[in-house]
Amino acid sequence: MNGQPEIRILASRAAAPRIAAGISRRRFLELAAAVGATSALAACTPTSRPQVQATGGPVESELSIYSWGDYDAPEVLDAFTASLGAAITMDAFNSNEEMIAKLTASKGTSGYDIVVPTGVFIPGMAENGLLTRLNLDLIPNIEHMDPAFLRQAWDPQNDYSICKAWGTTGFVYDKTVISRELKTWSDFIDAAKNEASGKTSVLDDPAEITGIYFWANGIDWNTTDPAQLDAAEKFAVEELAPHISNFDSYPGGEAIPQASQVLMQVWNGDARIGILNSPDPDRWQWVLGSPATELWMDNWAIAAGAPHPEAAHAFINYVLTPENALAELDYIGYHTGAAGIEDAARDAELEMLDLVFFTPEQIATMNNGEVTEAQARIVDIWNKAKAAAGA
Amino acid sequence: MRRPGWLLAVPAWVWLLVFFVAPVLQVLWFSFGYKPGIFGTHANDVLSFDRYAEAVTPTFFATFQNTLWVGIAGTLLCLVIALPVAYWMAAKVPARHRGVLLALVLVPYWTNFLIRTIGWQIILSPEGALSHLGQALGFGPLDLLYTRPAVLLGVVYNYLPLMILPLYVAFDRVDPALREASKDLGADRLRTLFGVTLPLAQPGIIAGIVLVFIPLMGDYITPTVLGGARGMMVGQLVASQFQTAQNWALGAAMAVLLILVIAATLGIAALLAWLVTLPFRARRRLRLGEA
Repeated sequence: MNGQPEIRILASRAAAPRIAAGISRRRFLELAAAVGATSALAACTPTSRPQVQATGGPVESELSIYSWGDYDAPEVLDAFTASLGAAITMDAFNSNEEMIAKLTASKGTSGYDIVVPTGVFIPGMAENGLLTRLNLDLIPNIEHMDPAFLRQAWDPQNDYSICKAWGTTGFVYDKTVISRELKTWSDFIDAAKNEASGKTSVLDDPAEITGIYFWANGIDWNTTDPAQLDAAEKFAVEELAPHISNFDSYPGGEAIPQASQVLMQVWNGDARIGILNSPDPDRWQWVLGSPATELWMDNWAIAAGAPHPEAAHAFINYVLTPENALAELDYIGYHTGAAGIEDAARDAELEMLDLVFFTPEQIATMNNGEVTEAQARIVDIWNKAKAAAGA
Repeated sequence: MRRPGWLLAVPAWVWLLVFFVAPVLQVLWFSFGYKPGIFGTHANDVLSFDRYAEAVTPTFFATFQNTLWVGIAGTLLCLVIALPVAYWMAAKVPARHRGVLLALVLVPYWTNFLIRTIGWQIILSPEGALSHLGQALGFGPLDLLYTRPAVLLGVVYNYLPLMILPLYVAFDRVDPALREASKDLGADRLRTLFGVTLPLAQPGIIAGIVLVFIPLMGDYITPTVLGGARGMMVGQLVASQFQTAQNWALGAAMAVLLILVIAATLGIAALLAWLVTLPFRARRRLRLGEA
């Protein structure tokens, strides 16, 4: 997990000056539109709040978390509120881009305290002033983390983030419809075009769709080669999209229990939730994407302008205790990065741990995503694939 | 001291300017800009029509066609279903029972829009109650969820009250004496319906069509929940540009195009309606002149 490949954020030379200029341009727009309703409302709250720093003072009465869907054990949230008094408000996003869009647009007035970005997005978010530095003195429970999951390349000193969970991407299929054994991304594509045509869902996350093509064909999924991206676009828009019936980041919530799809690209923990909640778990088969697939790590971080920084630190500290880490793993089905959690999970005899823990050989096939200059192109491909699927 | 009469209209004008004109102008302004990079949502230092060109490329244009199809089919279905229901409520049901019927139309509408739509998702799913019932009766599993017909079903369900209510009001205002007079003068039921009742209810029909068609075209919840990838509508495209792609310029251009499509469709519909009714009106005018 250490020894990441280099992370390139906003590498486009053309983009850098525009972003620097963006601040003054946005200010101008605000003034220009001052008569407008939206900015009139925005003017009610100051656009740049002084950064509130947590000092270990009393925990505020509220805490608002903006995270991925169904990503925390309800009993852990309830226990936190019961013991420290802060009522938690949860809001969910489907992709990092969506979360960044909201934070960028609100300029520190989003009202969110904790956000859960994927690692590779953290340097860019920090650079653009979307995150607050953590006060690690208030998070002593970081000692329960496995050092292998701290000090990642994107945040070498854990200034902004602490690992929340890591996982990978694969797919789930309905064995009552697809009788052959599917093993690889190529099999996924083949089944999507045949038995599962019109009953296939893919993740509603831009890089995952181009990812299917790159992983299946042994191409680095962080490629910025325009020819490769063109080929990925042709695949996503012309080949795959006509067979897609939904873009769903959480098939475990509805699609697997309700059996509304036959083949679904899915993150491992969500697959586990779906299969555990299915009235007929035996009809579903989970497959780890191969020959290559994704490795992602989501992280606890605190949004710039967080209105409840003490509660945010208290919460992060709270979830890092070994008991809470295990409760979180049991619910979300992802490795939280806590030391010794695999043994603890096996001792507790939690279900379906083959979807949670992976062998070193399997982990060797997983690659971190990167935020490259191809980011905009990948979002564009995803947009076109979505439109094409509806045509 | 006498205050000028226009003073009373000031709150309404301020409201319109602040909450309608200004936001629409802002969206229009954004639509001429571009997206500067991953951490920027829009920039307007270079103005162009490029976003409009992007929005009408074949991939996105297909979604516009789909939306228009659902919009027109949904509005017509609502009209066809609501006309007899509203007429029956206004003309056939005794006045003392009308309140109950109106409540039956309205009460489901008080429930959250999203909850009602998710209810249909559960009903329509292949493992849902309807599917099991169908299978018990010997049909195959229901294969409707995440298709365009599912979206059509959802929008008709969601917008039907908006069609029934103005029609009911319109039919209610038609004096029963006029229908009786029509009968006394020798017109049969069909003639009375098309010659007296419907023309008098015309304002209600127009109001219903406008009330249903406009929000339906911009609907985003129904196709998201019931349409999946296949029943995609422009509302989702706009939302995904603003939320995920963070391309406010392209999203704004799509939103402006949607407004234009809605306005053009209503304009064409009004023109067609005017052309169709032209001969009737000309004849009626002639008769009045003779009398």
